[in-house]
Amino acid sequence: MESTLDTFGSQDTSNVAGFAAGETLWLTVLMSAAGVAIFVVVMVFIALAWRGRGGGQTWWIVGGGVIFPVVVIGTLFVTSTFVLRAIAGPSTPAHVIEVTGKQFWWDVIYDPEGRALRDANEVVLPLGEPVEIRLKSTDVIHSFWVPSIAGKMDMIPGRVNTLTVTATREGRFRGQCAEFCGLAHPLMAFEAVVLPPEEYDAFLADLDGEARDAVTPQERRGAEVFQTSGCVACHRVQGISDARIGPDLTRVGGRAALGAGMWEMNTGNLAGWIADVGDMKPGAEMPSYNQLSGPDLRALVAWLESLT
Amino acid sequence: MSVSETPTTYSGARKGEDKSFEGVWDTPKGIHVLSSVSHRVVGRRFIYTGFVFFLIAGVLALLVRTQLIVPGNTFLDLETYNQVFTMHGTLMMFLFAIPILEGFAVYLIPLMLGARDLIFPRLGQFGYYCYLFGGIIVLSSFVFDAAPDGGWFMYVPLSTKAHTPGLSADFWLIGITFAEIASVTAAVELITAILTARAPGMSLTKMPIFAWYILITAFMIAIGFPPLIIGSILLEAERLLGLPFFDPMLGGDPLLWQHLFWLFGHPEVYIIFLPAAGMVATMLPTFVGKPLFGYGFAVAAVVSMGFISFGLWAHHMFATGLPILSLSLFSAASTMVAVPTAIQVFCFIATLASGRPKLTTPMLFILGFLSIFVLGGLTGVMLASVPFNWQAHDSYFVVAHLHYVLIGGMVFPLIGAFYYWAPHFTGRMMSERLGRWVFGLMFVGFNTTFLLMHITGLRGMPRRVATYAEGLGWDRLNMLSSIGSYILAAGIALFVFDFFRSRRHGPPAPRNPWGAGTLEWLYPPVAPGFNFHAIPPVESREPLWDQPHLLETEAHKVEGVMHGIRDGRRETVGCDPVSGKPLYILRLPHPTWLPMIAAAGLALLFGATLASAYWLCAVGAVIALVAFTLWGWEPSDSGVTRDAGMGHELPVNVVDRRSHMHVALVGTMLVLMALFASLIFGLLYLWNIRPEAAETLTRPALLPAAVAVVLGLAVALFGQLTRRAAVRDRFAGATVLSLLTVLTSLLAVAALGLSLMPIDPWASALGATLWAIGGFVAFNLAVLTYWGLFNAARRLTRRIGPGQSMPDFNLATFAKGCGLMVAVAGAFFIAGAVGGVG
Repeated sequence: MESTLDTFGSQDTSNVAGFAAGETLWLTVLMSAAGVAIFVVVMVFIALAWRGRGGGQTWWIVGGGVIFPVVVIGTLFVTSTFVLRAIAGPSTPAHVIEVTGKQFWWDVIYDPEGRALRDANEVVLPLGEPVEIRLKSTDVIHSFWVPSIAGKMDMIPGRVNTLTVTATREGRFRGQCAEFCGLAHPLMAFEAVVLPPEEYDAFLADLDGEARDAVTPQERRGAEVFQTSGCVACHRVQGISDARIGPDLTRVGGRAALGAGMWEMNTGNLAGWIADVGDMKPGAEMPSYNQLSGPDLRALVAWLESLT
Repeated sequence: MSVSETPTTYSGARKGEDKSFEGVWDTPKGIHVLSSVSHRVVGRRFIYTGFVFFLIAGVLALLVRTQLIVPGNTFLDLETYNQVFTMHGTLMMFLFAIPILEGFAVYLIPLMLGARDLIFPRLGQFGYYCYLFGGIIVLSSFVFDAAPDGGWFMYVPLSTKAHTPGLSADFWLIGITFAEIASVTAAVELITAILTARAPGMSLTKMPIFAWYILITAFMIAIGFPPLIIGSILLEAERLLGLPFFDPMLGGDPLLWQHLFWLFGHPEVYIIFLPAAGMVATMLPTFVGKPLFGYGFAVAAVVSMGFISFGLWAHHMFATGLPILSLSLFSAASTMVAVPTAIQVFCFIATLASGRPKLTTPMLFILGFLSIFVLGGLTGVMLASVPFNWQAHDSYFVVAHLHYVLIGGMVFPLIGAFYYWAPHFTGRMMSERLGRWVFGLMFVGFNTTFLLMHITGLRGMPRRVATYAEGLGWDRLNMLSSIGSYILAAGIALFVFDFFRSRRHGPPAPRNPWGAGTLEWLYPPVAPGFNFHAIPPVESREPLWDQPHLLETEAHKVEGVMHGIRDGRRETVGCDPVSGKPLYILRLPHPTWLPMIAAAGLALLFGATLASAYWLCAVGAVIALVAFTLWGWEPSDSGVTRDAGMGHELPVNVVDRRSHMHVALVGTMLVLMALFASLIFGLLYLWNIRPEAAETLTRPALLPAAVAVVLGLAVALFGQLTRRAAVRDRFAGATVLSLLTVLTSLLAVAALGLSLMPIDPWASALGATLWAIGGFVAFNLAVLTYWGLFNAARRLTRRIGPGQSMPDFNLATFAKGCGLMVAVAGAFFIAGAVGGVG
């Protein structure tokens, strides 16, 4: 399995691109340093004890076992609570994005109470503006995690969790499902794209429109295949179909990745996906369309790639 | 107390049996060894079986590491990988860690405390076979190509029928719940043994520290396992019968499972750690040559750890969207556990400083334990910080942390304990030279594998992924971790080799080979099939150090109580739980097949459930019931008085709250109450979390619920009266009252049932939970009824003679608990009926 995930940006808690990730990083560094220091002190203590220095004193137990830990955990708790309030305290989000976890992809709706713009497997965030991400699931528990932006939050059937994030750096960052969700759990990733606010608005405006028209004869044939071969039963392409079982494909050609952050979006991968999805992503609910003729498959791929 | 002086006959004794002391205590030979009830035999079986599961789970871990050695590896496919990591966790947590530690406790506790056996040897055998059969059911899923693949935590809805069709989850739920019976029975058995069967003079404060650790652990098991048992039963009922406990569409909640699971799962971590720490606290003084420093601090720390461990479960759920206030409370509680942990570590350090430590192999493992566990504890404190937890949760950082705590806190002490106590099992010393290699390989391999995982996790690698992409900064770290795991495995393999090598070629172990102070080393290894010819009075925590005459005389000539045999029976001395003063003679059972048959009946019941062969379930249930009945179907010994030596004239059993039966019953009631409380927790949780579902619930009928409360209180009252009559030797009164209790309890079940009639359990989670509560209470009352009839039958057939009130006394105690349960359940039904619901 030749995966090309590395081209989609980093997935590292220390490669900070969000306010919460930044606050948490310094807490991590602080706690790690303190942890290492305490560890070294205890080991030195053991070495001294081994040589019989001090001969076992009650104050060791009171000092090392009670007073010292109480001071350390007290300090940690206070610090940690400040960070918690900073990153999870009340805020007034400028935008709302609803993300629903599905086995094994992400359904995304921008401005769910307003324009309700649908997309999939990619979450675009405006730079520097707080965004409330509403997390849902319709099947099993998933967890939404973009380490560079913020910590994770679970998506639980029957509940709506919220995660308020503020992106602090432009770029592409990889996110991944962090709660074991079944067969293809490791193959459930996505991309978080941070854009400047004006580009973000343009992106939303673009989402609002219908899919691009098919231009070439091959693309027109592809659109026809899409409508006659059963694809429309599950997939939405704005202006053509409105099904909501599978990912929205209105802009599929414009995404960097295919199959929920798993494969580079190119002609070969897209054709392979349609013809034999079970091989590229075991556990995906989509059936393999290996009955399509070669020219039809190529036409379908060409049309889908044109949907940017 | 009236005393009948007729010598008792015992159905367990075989004809023509050797009536010498050695003969009475002899372990049966050949195939009959399977019928042995000796704690030495059962304890070793737990240990060896647990170790086999450890090796299997270890091989699974190597498969995991081999799959992850390079990105995009295709060594295992997704399905197989998910099965492998699920079974790795499941076997390690449920079938290795707890059973093997309980095995050590079962083996060592009577020897350390000066008892000839555990108090309920048959229960020990029964528990072992439940564990074995349950483990086999879980493992057999591989054969049926239905290995569980939903993670050892079995989160719903992934593990519900809709998302995991087939039998894999059922194998897990049924097999593990079956095996857990062993943990719970062993817990009750150990609580009773520690509290009621100690050497004369061994007060609580003179108990070896290991017994304290095991006592607290056993209480934690008794309270901590029930939430998972209830959770598993509810989930299996949802899978099998379609009852919607966890279904959000019908007022259920997936998080209810997580709460129940972690209410068990977090104490579980301490249940694994504490016995191992107890081993360290036992071995360390031996090699330092001085008693444990800060015994009182250590005991206080262990007790407080037991309490705190039940208040931390939600720190496994920080990312589930709990309110900020709950997060802060659980975060604070989680950091607090650092205090009792640190107290213990500093007790160990102070002990090291108080003498001249010898660097033996067990000591190496203790040092390994100290360094690894301290680091794991520190990362644990980090994880208690909510913001950090949100990043680290379900990443490889947590994988690193939990292995530091569990391998450092449990496996290292365990291997050290094998080097220390193997001479006791096998009569031969293991190799100090190979032991150093074992330690070196394990220590280097362990740290290579898991130290790096902290970084892998912070670099964003989630857990439970069968594959990962190249170029995310995880490639080299994973490669090194995998290489480390092979080194760790080599250490374990060398240990296994050394163990088998030493059994044949090791130098014979001398008496008290390490110069220890605890009583288990009184006899030269391998000790005979029994523990003590006479049970010596104990004057200190280290009797072998402070009472030199014990080692100066040959072991079988040591003076003590209970020398020889009376009435051809196996016996030990029962003591006052606090002072250790001898109170009564405890008669112990002889080898028997009945517990095994009972366990086999249950295995058939559970196996047939898996196969949906329900008539076979009934057969299994009948087999188990018959075996249990025959098990208890024996003449009561109580009321006889015998000479116990050293000036003690002791009764056989006492009708008293200090008696072993009463202590065991209270322990069992603790388990039952914890089960009941878990159901009530579920009810209140759903009620609170889904008020809109509660509004639409069909209400329970008010009048029958009110009647049930009254009847429940009546059952408790009759129980109390029965008990009083029994204590005052009013036998006729006790018999009549106990039958009255049974009758009332039947009426109470009927009232509860009537109250539930309007509710359709399939329509809502709350309704299903109310029915589950009713069902659980009914089950207990069925047991009570059966017990009442059983006692009556024993009385009619003269197995309980006049003057023997203990059976009524015990029944009454159980009835009081059942009555309270009915009353509480009825009160909740009333609350539901009058609509305090929303």
